[in-house]
Amino acid sequence: MPSEYETLVAALNLTDIPFAEYGWRTRPEGAYGVVSLDFEADAHNGDGAKIDRAWEGSVDVYFQKLDDRGDMIEAVEEVLSEVLGNSWSMNSTQYETETGLFHIEWVFQCMDEPEADEAEAGGS
Amino acid sequence: MNFTFQSDGLAEISRMLNELGDKAAFVGSHALYEGAGRMADAIFAEINNIQTAPFKYAGPGETRLPSPEEKAVLQQGEAFGITKFEKDGNEINTSVGLNGSGYANVNWNHMNSSARTNYKDVAFKGKENAASSTLKTIRYSGKAEQYGLSSTIGRGAQNQKPISVIANAINSGTSFMQKQPFVRKGVSKGKKTAVAAMVAEAEKLFNAIISQNEAGGKSA
Repeated sequence: MPSEYETLVAALNLTDIPFAEYGWRTRPEGAYGVVSLDFEADAHNGDGAKIDRAWEGSVDVYFQKLDDRGDMIEAVEEVLSEVLGNSWSMNSTQYETETGLFHIEWVFQCMDEPEADEAEAGGS
Repeated sequence: MNFTFQSDGLAEISRMLNELGDKAAFVGSHALYEGAGRMADAIFAEINNIQTAPFKYAGPGETRLPSPEEKAVLQQGEAFGITKFEKDGNEINTSVGLNGSGYANVNWNHMNSSARTNYKDVAFKGKENAASSTLKTIRYSGKAEQYGLSSTIGRGAQNQKPISVIANAINSGTSFMQKQPFVRKGVSKGKKTAVAAMVAEAEKLFNAIISQNEAGGKSA
């Protein structure tokens, strides 16, 4: 698991909406979220090994009433910006007529955060 | 759902196109045709990789996989494709995917299939002995014409579902369907081959045109 993803999951759980990874066993009432890593988006190879890897994942938020929405969209986007910088985008907003749920999806790419000594070396 | 991508390889193409002048649109559209084809192949390969399970309604709090019927809809020849090329100033654009791909027959309510349980039979004969799908309304029994009802129009309209809606439900997931992002996966897998194919095609045509021009210059 890339470390940025772990930070993202921890940060999303600090918002008002409950978040689960990959799906809920029993779906909570009211607004809820799902965060998942979907696939490897790109990789830098060198010396017969993967040096850097970028993963693509998605954040989904479901809610029933527009009144319940509050500032959850802003809260999620703030977390994404803080953890991942600008490597995310809102992919789609949908309404499910059968279940009466609003569904908003964000797509992001994340990597392993550089280790402390590497970051220092890069900065100097 | 729109995904765009850029690459350093494309800068090489745009440098060549600047030198070509009048024939730039010709070379550009041929290169784009190659790239769009590779991209379509990559996404179609991911469509073939979609996991399925026999149709079952998702219970409360559960998710389900798409049914083989729903997957087959996306695999139809006419559903998936490349749009007409559009020239917009100096750009030539196209799209690959399932937008505006029309309607397909998908049966979600399973009224006229054997998936339905006959509760009356269950009540009288017990679960093991009950015959399924003996209880049907006239419209779904295949005898509609005998009773002066139109079977085709009503049934056809009910079963016709927009293909792009099915594709979107599989691609981004819903509260009751697991997400399988086949478009994003295909785009990121096919990006490199698409750009390489575009560069190769553009170089081929570029060299052909340049050598033709040089030959023309010598003879004149």
